[in-house]
Amino acid sequence: MKISDTIRRAGRSLRQAKARTLLTSLAIGVGAFTITLSLAGGQGGRDYTDAIVKANTDVNELLVTKKAPQANAIQEYAPNTGGTSTGPLGRSVATISNADIADIQKIDGVESVTPNYEPSVNYITTEGQKKYVATLATYSPSVALEYAAGSVSGELGDNEIILTQDYAAVLGFANAADAVGKTVVINATKLSTSFEKVPQTKDYTFVVKAVSSKSGLAFRSQSSMLISINEAKNIYTYVNEGTSAYGQFLLTSVHVKDASKASDIKSVLASKGYDAQTAADVLGTVNTFINVLLGILLGFGALAVLTSVFGIINTQYISVLERTQQIGLMKALGMSARDVGRLFKYEAAWVGFLGGVIGSGFAFIVGTLANPLITKALNLGDISLLKFAPTQVAIVIVGLILISVGAGILPARKASRLDPIEALRTE
Amino acid sequence: MIEIKSITKTYGKKQNAFLALDNISFDVPDGMTIAIIGKSGSGKSTLMHAMSGLDRPEIGEVVIDGENILTLKQRKIDAFRASKMSFIFQSFFIQPNETCYDNVVLPLEIAEVSRGQRRAKVEAALAAVELGDKIRVKAANLSGGQKQRLAIARAIVNEPKILFADEPTGNLDSVTGGVVEDFLFNYSRTNKATLIIVTHDPDLAGKCDAQIEIVDGKIYSTKGLKETSEGEIA
Ligand SMILES: Nc1ncnc2c1ncn2[C@@H]1O[C@H](COP(=O)(O)OP(=O)(O)OP(=O)(O)O)[C@@H](O)[C@H]1O
Ligand SMILES: [Mg+2]
Repeated sequence: MKISDTIRRAGRSLRQAKARTLLTSLAIGVGAFTITLSLAGGQGGRDYTDAIVKANTDVNELLVTKKAPQANAIQEYAPNTGGTSTGPLGRSVATISNADIADIQKIDGVESVTPNYEPSVNYITTEGQKKYVATLATYSPSVALEYAAGSVSGELGDNEIILTQDYAAVLGFANAADAVGKTVVINATKLSTSFEKVPQTKDYTFVVKAVSSKSGLAFRSQSSMLISINEAKNIYTYVNEGTSAYGQFLLTSVHVKDASKASDIKSVLASKGYDAQTAADVLGTVNTFINVLLGILLGFGALAVLTSVFGIINTQYISVLERTQQIGLMKALGMSARDVGRLFKYEAAWVGFLGGVIGSGFAFIVGTLANPLITKALNLGDISLLKFAPTQVAIVIVGLILISVGAGILPARKASRLDPIEALRTE
Repeated sequence: MIEIKSITKTYGKKQNAFLALDNISFDVPDGMTIAIIGKSGSGKSTLMHAMSGLDRPEIGEVVIDGENILTLKQRKIDAFRASKMSFIFQSFFIQPNETCYDNVVLPLEIAEVSRGQRRAKVEAALAAVELGDKIRVKAANLSGGQKQRLAIARAIVNEPKILFADEPTGNLDSVTGGVVEDFLFNYSRTNKATLIIVTHDPDLAGKCDAQIEIVDGKIYSTKGLKETSEGEIA
């Protein structure tokens, strides 16, 4: 018997037992639904974190900290190689000194080393407006930003600032575009002022170069205003000079010439006693979390499929029993045992195919409907968290077909071994 | 030519052993119609199964066109049945949920007849049993006699050289049975096909060229058959 004829006969047998076929398919469809949705979630999740990391970090950048001393080990006193400052919970944290920075600078492939200045300032204001608490961060041209007004190409000039939309609004500008080109004032206090004197403060005037818009991805742009590294260094120096923390950085960013060498430089840094995190590391950490979650969901899906396997075995056995006469007749007419077995295996394959299509089709519909709701609930902007890749759906369906055929093997063997004489005797 | 040589078939083992066929030999020339008659349980169906290679008796040969089919590999016997033989049973064994077309096309699919030729063959077979207008009708909607005619259409669609019929009219009234008989004999005559009918009915047996009467697994008497070399005919 030709394969195509066998497949058509198998399909027809199923159509004649519609309710049973549908119910068996639905069981496997539950598995297909879960698996398709979790794969879509995994795909969407990974794309999402990928986008976040791309928007907030620079692939050429390593974030470097000094390895903390072992919790119980006694440290040798080293006066010139930076110190330890007391971190949260009173634990000592190693800091990076200017000597360390010079050391890192010498590593082959390192382009520049920039300590994390990010100075703490008192407030931001503009003419005729109230004063508002503000945080500053440094601008990097390779971190993607979305702008509500204005834009920056290349480096941000000194005395230039990128405001956030919220600050632009609160500082009394009519809209984001209105803020561009206006000046704002940032006030900082010198920490080392001896206490008998009045605290020394200083105003820094900036021209608004651009206003960053809210984005589902760029977390930094939502809270911090961005200034150039030079300007950040200026303010940092003014604020911290003369204190014990001056020149001691918890974090420094190392810019490498070639992003592909980032992990090599990371290991050189590790051998010198620094912890370095590449953009890939950040992505990896987040993705591990997503993968674990995905694994759990897939586990549920696999469990549903396993249950449906027993359903298929059961219904196929019943089907063989019901159709004993038909099998006997086909064998009497010269159908080979192999073809009889195939007929039942293809029936199982049809059930798997139907289940896969129903399950993943339903998952697609549910996912497409749910995507805008999820995006709204989690405030993700224009991001879809469930992404259906056609190849993944196809693999799920093909996989389920194969599993169903596997489940159909035993009943098919029973059918192929039926003795036609016995089978035709059953009235 | 079908040559049956000293076939012996035993059911069960040791003390329970039951001799269903006991050293049966006879020859059936091509194109002959032959009736196998005998009481219920005498071994008629068992003999038919052995002749068609559905069953494998432990002793004896079934030589069809010079080849002993009992020593063929299962695949070969299957292919042999698909291309040269067909069957009609007392209880039709048609698929009620399928259309007449799908019922009749089955032997063509099994024999891997090319798709282009199938439709014409199915239509011819249905026309031969006067069911040409029922091609799209579900088999369940046919009357008893029509069902058996459908079974005949299915049996003759691939133009077998040997046709086995086990009590073909057993479930039909005499008028309908007569119609079915006519179709069978008609096919045998026009296609020079051997027709082997298992029956209780002496009238039906009388219409055949030859008769073999089986009693307790042995040939009790024959009519219209030449003796074979084995000389077992009583
Ligand atoms: N699988 C089997 N095991 C044991 N005995 C069997 C088996 N098949 C058939 N028999 C016995 O073999 C004998 C012949 O059976 P068979 O079916 O050939 O009879 P039959 O002549 O066709 O009868 P009927 O006219 O009622 O169809 C019977 O006594 C039956 O009980
Ligand atoms: Mg019988």
